[in-house]
Formats: sequence, C-alpha cells, structure tokens
Amino acid sequence: MEDTGSKGRSQAVSVPSLAVSTYIAAVVLAAAGLAVVAWRVHPLNNGAPSDNHVVTLAVLCVLGVLGSTSQERNVGGRIGFSFTSIVLLAAVALTGPFGAAVIGAVTFVLVLDKQRVEVRVFNIGMTSAYGAIGGFVYLLVGGVTNVSEVDGVGPLLLRVGLPLMVADVAQCLGNAVILSGIVRLTKGTPMRRFVLGMLGTSGPAYIGYGLIGFLFVILWVPAGVGPASAVLILAPLFVARWAFVQYGDEQRAHERTLSALAAAVETKDLYTRGHSERVARLCDLMAGALALSHQDTEALRFAGILHDIGKLSIPTRFLRRADRPSDADLVSIATHAARGVEMVRGIEFLGDSTEAILHHHERMDGLGYPAGLRGEDIPLLARIIAVADAFDSLTTSRSHREAHTVQEALAELHERAGTQLDPSIVDALERSLVRQVWEPTRLEPTLMVTAGRAFDHDDPAASDLMAGLAGTERVP
Amino acid sequence: MRNRGRSRVRAFPFEIVSGVVAASLTLGALAVVGIRLRELPRIPIRPLLPITGVFFVAILIGELFRVRQPGSRHTAPLATAAALAFSMTVASPNGTSASYRAPLVVAVTAVAMAVGSTPNLIRRRPIRLPDLANSLVGITVAALLFREIPVSQGRAVLDLQASWRPDVLALVMVLISVFALTVEVLLLALLRATRSHAPFLRTFQDEFMAALGLTAALSATGALVALAERPLGVVAIPLFLFPLGLTQVAVRRQSAIRRTYRQTIRSLSRLTEFGGYTEPGHAARVAELSLAMGQDLGMSERDVLDLEYAALLHDIGQVSLAEPIPGGATVLAAPVDQRRIAHDGAEIVRQTGVLENVAVILEAQTTSYRQVRELGEDLPLASRIIKVCNAYDDMAGSHPTRARRSAAMERIHLGLGYEYDPRVVDALVRALERGDQ
Repeated sequence: MEDTGSKGRSQAVSVPSLAVSTYIAAVVLAAAGLAVVAWRVHPLNNGAPSDNHVVTLAVLCVLGVLGSTSQERNVGGRIGFSFTSIVLLAAVALTGPFGAAVIGAVTFVLVLDKQRVEVRVFNIGMTSAYGAIGGFVYLLVGGVTNVSEVDGVGPLLLRVGLPLMVADVAQCLGNAVILSGIVRLTKGTPMRRFVLGMLGTSGPAYIGYGLIGFLFVILWVPAGVGPASAVLILAPLFVARWAFVQYGDEQRAHERTLSALAAAVETKDLYTRGHSERVARLCDLMAGALALSHQDTEALRFAGILHDIGKLSIPTRFLRRADRPSDADLVSIATHAARGVEMVRGIEFLGDSTEAILHHHERMDGLGYPAGLRGEDIPLLARIIAVADAFDSLTTSRSHREAHTVQEALAELHERAGTQLDPSIVDALERSLVRQVWEPTRLEPTLMVTAGRAFDHDDPAASDLMAGLAGTERVP
Repeated sequence: MRNRGRSRVRAFPFEIVSGVVAASLTLGALAVVGIRLRELPRIPIRPLLPITGVFFVAILIGELFRVRQPGSRHTAPLATAAALAFSMTVASPNGTSASYRAPLVVAVTAVAMAVGSTPNLIRRRPIRLPDLANSLVGITVAALLFREIPVSQGRAVLDLQASWRPDVLALVMVLISVFALTVEVLLLALLRATRSHAPFLRTFQDEFMAALGLTAALSATGALVALAERPLGVVAIPLFLFPLGLTQVAVRRQSAIRRTYRQTIRSLSRLTEFGGYTEPGHAARVAELSLAMGQDLGMSERDVLDLEYAALLHDIGQVSLAEPIPGGATVLAAPVDQRRIAHDGAEIVRQTGVLENVAVILEAQTTSYRQVRELGEDLPLASRIIKVCNAYDDMAGSHPTRARRSAAMERIHLGLGYEYDPRVVDALVRALERGDQ
C-alpha cells in the first residue's frame, strides 16, 4: 500500500482565517446533520437482535483510536497505512452509517497525538462525514448490516463484499473532496487538481482497504470469531507496517551516511565545504519546478550529493593552488567526474545518478568534459546539476570577490544559457527561487584567508578556461 | 578444546541430512496417502479436491515468490501461511468437514514446494535445500499437532474443535503455528551456527528475534485462512492471503535497502583506496576477517553488523589528511597519528547521525589492550577485533606467503596481552586456520 501521502488529515492549517474557520464549522455541521439522518434512516440494532451493535461499535472505536494513533508517521518513500479507513469500512457493514459516523468522530476526539484544536475539530468533522457517506452508499447499493443472516459464498460477496467496495470508493472521494476544500483555502491549490492528485496516489491503497475491511467483516460475523478477529486481521498489517517503518528508517540512515561521507571528502578542499549538500538542495528545488518523477528526483538528489566525490583522487596540491592552474593541472582536475563514477560504481541503486555524475561538466556548446556532449545529448539530470553547481559557486564568497546575490547570479547564468547551460533549466531555477528564499553562502574571513586564492573548478569562468583548453586538445 | 568441538560440528553434513529428511517425509506421506486411497475407496474424495487443489496452487505460487529477509534468510511467507492453513482447515461451507489427515497435508506441501522450486532449478539458481527441508518439517509439526496427536480423551484437536468457540479455536491455531514455526527457526539456527562457527544459543536468539514479526504475521494468516474457509470456502484462500502479500512486499523492501546500505558502506570504504591513502582491498579484507572473528566470539547479529561497518570504515579518518601516509599502513604510523586518524574517522562517521555505535568502535580502535587490564577501561570487543585484524593485514599484505604470515603472527604474539587481547588473537588463529581448509 503506497503513496498515501498525508491523506486523511489536514496538516497545513496555519492561523485559521475567517474563511478557514467557516469552512471547518460547515464541515462539522454537515457531519452532525449526516449523523442525525443516519440515525433516522438506520438506527443501531436495526432489526437484527442477534447482533449487538453497541458492543461492536465500542470495540471498533477502540481499534480506530489505536489505529489512528500509530498511523501516518512519515515512514519515508511516502508509504503509510490508514487503519482508520479499514475500521471505518468494517463499521459500515457491521453497524451501518450511524456507527461509521460515530467512529469517525470518536477516533479523532480521542486520538492521542498532539494536534492543534482546529486541526482536530476539522478531522473529527471530516472523518465522521465521509464515514456516514460511505454508510449511506453501502445501504443504497444493497449492502446489509445484519451480516449473520447472509449465508453462502455468493450472497456474502454480493450483499457485503461488493457494496463495501463501492462504499470504499465513496469514502475515498468524500475524504478527497472535503480535504481539497481546506487545502484550497490554505495553500491555494485548485480543488480539482488536488482531488485528482489524491485519487492517483491513495486510490490504489483504498482498494486494499476495501478488501481488508471485507475480510474483517467476514471473520467477525460469519466465521464467528468476533472482536478477536481484529488481532488476526491486523497482525500481518502491523508487521507490514513495522517492516515499512524499518525500511524508512534504514533508507534515511542510508542517505545520511552517504551524504556525511561525501561531505567528509570536501574537508580536503576548504572552499567546497557544504557545497554538495547545497547543490543537492538546489536540485530538489528544480526537480519540483521541472515536475520530475519521484524516481528521477531521488536519482538527482544522490547525484547532487556525490557529484564531486571524484575529487578525492586528485592530489590536494592541485586543488589548493593559488595562481592560475597550468593546463596539466586542468586536465588532472577534469578527471574527477570519471573518477567519481568509478568510486560509486559498486552501489547498484545509484543507476541513473552515475550518468549525471559523469556528465555534470558538459556544456551545451559541446566544449565541456569528459565526453564533449552537446545540447540534448547531455543527460537531463547532468544538465540540472551543472546549473546548480554554477549557481552555488557564484553565490558563495571567495577571497577575491564577494558572494553574488541571487539576482546577480541568475543574470550571470542567463548570460551563459545556450553556450554553457541549458536555458530551460536556468528558467526552472529562477522559477523555483521565486517561491523559495536562497541565502548566499558567506564564508568566514578567517577560512578564506587560510584557503587563499584557490582554484574553484565550479566557477563558470573555470568552465570557459576548460572549454578553451578543449578547443585545442581534447580533455581526456 | 572448544575449538576442536566446533570443527567436528562443522564437518556435519547438513545438506545431506536435510535432503534425506525432506525426501523421507515426502515419500512417507505420499505412501500413506496412497495406501489410504486404495484401502478406503468408499471415502468421498470429491469434496476434498477443490480445497486440496487450491492449497496446492497457493503453496506453489508462494514458493515461486521466495523473499530474502535481512541477514540473508530465505523464506516463502505466502507458501508457509497457505500450508499452515491447509494443516488447520476444519470445514468448508457446504457442511462437509475437511476430514483429511496429516499425510495428505505433508504430501501436497512437499510436492507443491518441489514444483515451485523447479524454475530456479532450470535457471540454475542454487536451491537452498536445508531451508526447504526446515519448512517441510515445520508444516509436518503443525499438521501432526492439529490433526493427529491426541490431546484429550485420545482425540486430536481436529476432532475436538467442533464444540469450541471460534475465538478459542483461533487461539489454538495461532499457538500451534507459532510452535511449528519456532521448530523451523530452531533447525535454521542449528544450521547457521555450525556454518558460521558461532555459539548455538546466540544464533538461536538472533534467528528468533529476526523471525518474530514474520512468525506473528504467518501464524495469524494461517489461522485466518483456516477459519474463513467455513463461510467462504476456497475463495477465502486467495482473499485472506492478501494482507500477507503486503507484509511480503514490506519485507522485500526492507531487505533490499539493507543490502543497498551494505553496498554503499562497502563502496565508500574504498574512498581511501581511490585517494591513494590505503592499499587496495585492505578495508574489505579486514572486514571479512573481523566478521569471521566476531561470529566466532559469539557476538550478536546487530553487533556483528556494526563491527563489519566499523571494519570497512576503519581508515576513513585518513581522508582528512592532506597527503597520504606512505603505504597507508596505520600500524606503522606513530601512535599519536594513529589516534588522530581514529578520532577523525569517528568524527566523520558521527556526522551521519545514525552510526553512533560504529563511531564508538572507531574511536577506540587504537587503544591498547593494556588500558583494559591495568586501568579497567571499557574497550568494545569490536575495537579490539579491528585492532588485531588491521595489524595482521597491514603486516601480512594482500597475498601473504607462509613466511609473511608467520612473521605477522609473530609480531602480534609479541604484543599479546599488552597491545592485543589474547582472546581475540586466539580467534584470529582459528579464523585463519579455517580459511586454509
């Protein structure tokens, strides 16, 4: 079950404006209204004396609270389970729309996580409302709440299973629509786009919830296991969740290890401290503006972290040279891209990242290194890193010059668009920097004195220097 | 003496024994089923066909999707859960009771597992026979406990359960599954302990903890499928295996990221080689030797992993040097420099924020054993192991001749008790001996 994102809970409510407060109040009122209608249409214990719906409801409430308390922790890779959704669906079939409305509300009244009051109130209203909606839809398409009177495989699938899947879709839609309202008011995302996006990411997960909800009901009533069925149904899910959490932890640990060790390499070269990390951050910003896929964004980030790792194999004296480096030094420095790839070759998952590392000093005019690729032949990720690389170099202070401001740096990059850099990517950087503040890196004066006038191979001027060299003789 | 005892266990031919066990279980079960079929032609076989068929297919498919758990454990969760459910199914919806006995379960499971392994056989991938045999033994235990072994008034659980409440039956099913899976873990631990020359109890503890989550999920799912069969019939089998499918995906990812992490550390451990600071392959050799010694000395799996990472990264502190030390051999550097490199390495590793244990090991990797003896300092075992391994590899080199090796060992023996921990040096001797065999 993947990509459920932040489904089901609003997290982005800042200081509630009047519009937001009104919207929350409307949702809560609607939820209350739906609950009243639900009671009128289909009270608990509706013609089914054999099933005690009140006890069932109480057990489900406990499960809902337990489930929602443990859910939605960010487990990396945008993976999460919504136990609440499963419990709500089980409640729809076991107790009807009123029961689902009650559980939706109770879950978030009692939820133990710390939440701001308005967030909690909104979640109570929203979950209760879409719980009730699911319940109505279930009844409308012929679902029954006295499951114990249904006998046989066919009837169970037709009168419980199928209606439950439909109710599931309705709940998913209800959740998305109500949530899109609040996101529209707080973040300005168009409702339609939000709903479609959420259906795309959580839709598949909801099919799973529907199925598991159905299994829950079957085990509870027809198989006669009762409340104990919660343990059996949830055990594999909890284990899966536990494994996913572990996976997320390990993934984060892995990434931090990679970046910390990459950063260690930078200690050799005083000027580039923190450079890789900043490049990775810039790459992330641009990935958003260029709408890259999740996979490409990941590959880009790793490439950003590791793009200069090959410098470790270049003798320190080349890097700390005060005067203009000789052509032989330049040739030596130019090997760092290929050396970097050699170093990380053993790490299989880097895949696309290695190409980006190899080609991050190519130029649009074909005068870059190591392969002298031209224009679109340069891998996209490499072109992105080239822009981030140049931008960070310009916005970092040097002993001979101040750090450029963001505007100055962008102007310089625009001048180089077409010859050195890809114009569309420079535009993307500019767009992403409109929404995000970027502070130029001002190194401490003492550090700069120690470093002296070292050669910065990422400075766009250096690229020209190398390109001039390439004109006469191919850089290996 | 301990050493001799171990090497004798090592020679124990587990592959052959498990092959024999699996084969005899399979043949025995098939024979019993065959005899029963001939003797009792009046038994209604037809109602049993769908259930047997669907379970057969489920086990077979599950076997096709084996997953590797972290720590290179191989399991087939879907197959195991299906087989457990098959062992414990009591009834189908049209009222016919599932009256089959344990031999049918064992026979069907064995054949399904064998068929499910053939694609691997064809692709010439190694089939881990002991794993398959262990699984089969586990399933046999479950089937016998549920269907054959008399627990009260000479009757087995299968014949008693009709009068029980469904939730009590569920509990019994879960308990039987847990027991059967624990037997499997026990056998696995026996196998691994002898392979890695580690103490059995420690290995069992590791295996048990590692299997805990999956054991819970499998036991619950086995009971789920068996219980849901009463209202739903064979439809329940694929439906109720679905939640376990998620578990399987999660476990697969978990082990994938664990492998990636290891790969990353391995690659990054070579940074110092690329920078010309250390000899090619030094870190990898030290890590391999440390690993063998850590297992030999009975360290837990978690500690062995920290040890391995620390051994791989033990020279990482050198990247902060402006220029490499000649030859990269830290054992020949001045003690002050050694300590500084160790300290820098620990600081670098500490920057990750997630490898604190490794940083602690690195910090202490140059400390003399004397500090422990005389000053009562607390020196991690892992640090002592790395100190010995690093010294050995620095002095013996990448392709040690017999003469270089004994010279290296001689120098280490000179520092015994003062520089190096005698217990660790003993472990080194054992590990090197085993490497020769």
